[in-house]
Amino acid sequence: MRIRGLLSLAIATILISACVRVAGQDQPTETNGAEPATKWTAPRTPDGQPDIQGIWTNYTNTPFEVFDEKDNPALYSGDPDGAGRGTGPGFINDSFERKLTKGRSLVVDPPNGRVPIMPWAEEKRNYRLGHIQDDWVNFTPWERCITRGVPGGIFPTGYGSGYQILQGPGYVSIVYEMIHEARIIPLDGRPHVGSGIRLWNGDSRGRWEGNTLVVDITNYNDKGNLATNAASQRVRSIPQSEDLHVVERFTRVDEKTINYEVVVEDPKVYTAPWKVAMSLNREPQYELFEYACHEGNHAVPNTLSAGRAKDRAPARAGTQ
Amino acid sequence: MQTRLFLAATGILILAAAAPVVAHHAFASEFDGSKPVTLKGTVTKMEWINPHAWLHMEVKGPDGKVVAWSIEGGAPNALLRRGWNKNSIPPGTQLTVLGFRAKDGSNRANGREATLANGQKLFLGSSGTGAPTDGRDPSEKK
Repeated sequence: MRIRGLLSLAIATILISACVRVAGQDQPTETNGAEPATKWTAPRTPDGQPDIQGIWTNYTNTPFEVFDEKDNPALYSGDPDGAGRGTGPGFINDSFERKLTKGRSLVVDPPNGRVPIMPWAEEKRNYRLGHIQDDWVNFTPWERCITRGVPGGIFPTGYGSGYQILQGPGYVSIVYEMIHEARIIPLDGRPHVGSGIRLWNGDSRGRWEGNTLVVDITNYNDKGNLATNAASQRVRSIPQSEDLHVVERFTRVDEKTINYEVVVEDPKVYTAPWKVAMSLNREPQYELFEYACHEGNHAVPNTLSAGRAKDRAPARAGTQ
Repeated sequence: MQTRLFLAATGILILAAAAPVVAHHAFASEFDGSKPVTLKGTVTKMEWINPHAWLHMEVKGPDGKVVAWSIEGGAPNALLRRGWNKNSIPPGTQLTVLGFRAKDGSNRANGREATLANGQKLFLGSSGTGAPTDGRDPSEKK
């Protein structure tokens, strides 16, 4: 109820503030963190925050990681053509003519564009994805309609990659089209919740550093996955520990672009911190549609029944 | 027989082209990309539900027996962006659906596209193809 109230407050704020909107059609292009050609002064909200409100999308043709020949994309990303190709605007067919460039990878650090995953975590992922027909616990939280995670919820997919950012006094909220999630990020400097509280999406605390919104996230549980979508390639279904620490940075660099960066640290899962950089593209005419994921999630029982059919017909095994 | 010929002709191509990078769930854990199926019949119900829409239809087999089939489509919000709405194919509509069979052998399939009696094609948002440009249809714009 409290969250709903805060969200209502944020929505009311955006309506009252009557922020300047650009009515024209956006044609997003990707910057992948490139500096803008000219200095741009961000508008302010009535309470003085840099204004990053609006509808943003991040459909992309850039793969999440740089592909390596040792990868097994058929297992963890279902991408038999191997190299990973980003999500593209897979299901989109509206009035926009998206001109998406293809960069090297969304992972920009380490410089080789590869997430430094510990071997045990890769083995765990391989087991889960290879035994998804055996037990519901092997599904990602997204497939179970729990969450796409943080920051995984903003890693692009082929559809539903729309985000609405709303700001009220002391808060920033982000509504994710996929899978109908909302984050409320307080800006008042309050400390993180106690270490005994563990959350699927962690505990977010925001602050402004100049024009950059910095969000520090801790207090994760060890049940979730940082990334759940096949477009996240090798990182999909990698486990997370309670030591996961994420720092996001949102910097609006021009009317149409937020540079988004996220640094992920989890010393039990990765051998070093790693970083993703991508742009969020302002798209005022894009509508966030409902995605009430759990409404009719037949995928879990149907997948398990496929496994039982395989058990009954061992001669046909190996088709998973 | 017609279905078998179709399987032989297109199975390899579909396997090579499939790229389920956009689905909510793992296509291969539930459906068999090597078993395309063409279903011609009558719509009985369209479930406009998340995370995937489900189309139900009755299909008359060569023996004249009518069998109920369920076809998984994309998310309603994705289908809406592809030109569908909840009432696009009301009960009674004659339809031909191309999809991929469920691995558990039931009369379920993952739908790729539906063709209306007038020839109009509707993309069903199959999670197994990376469609609409999965390479299966040579006339499609890449």
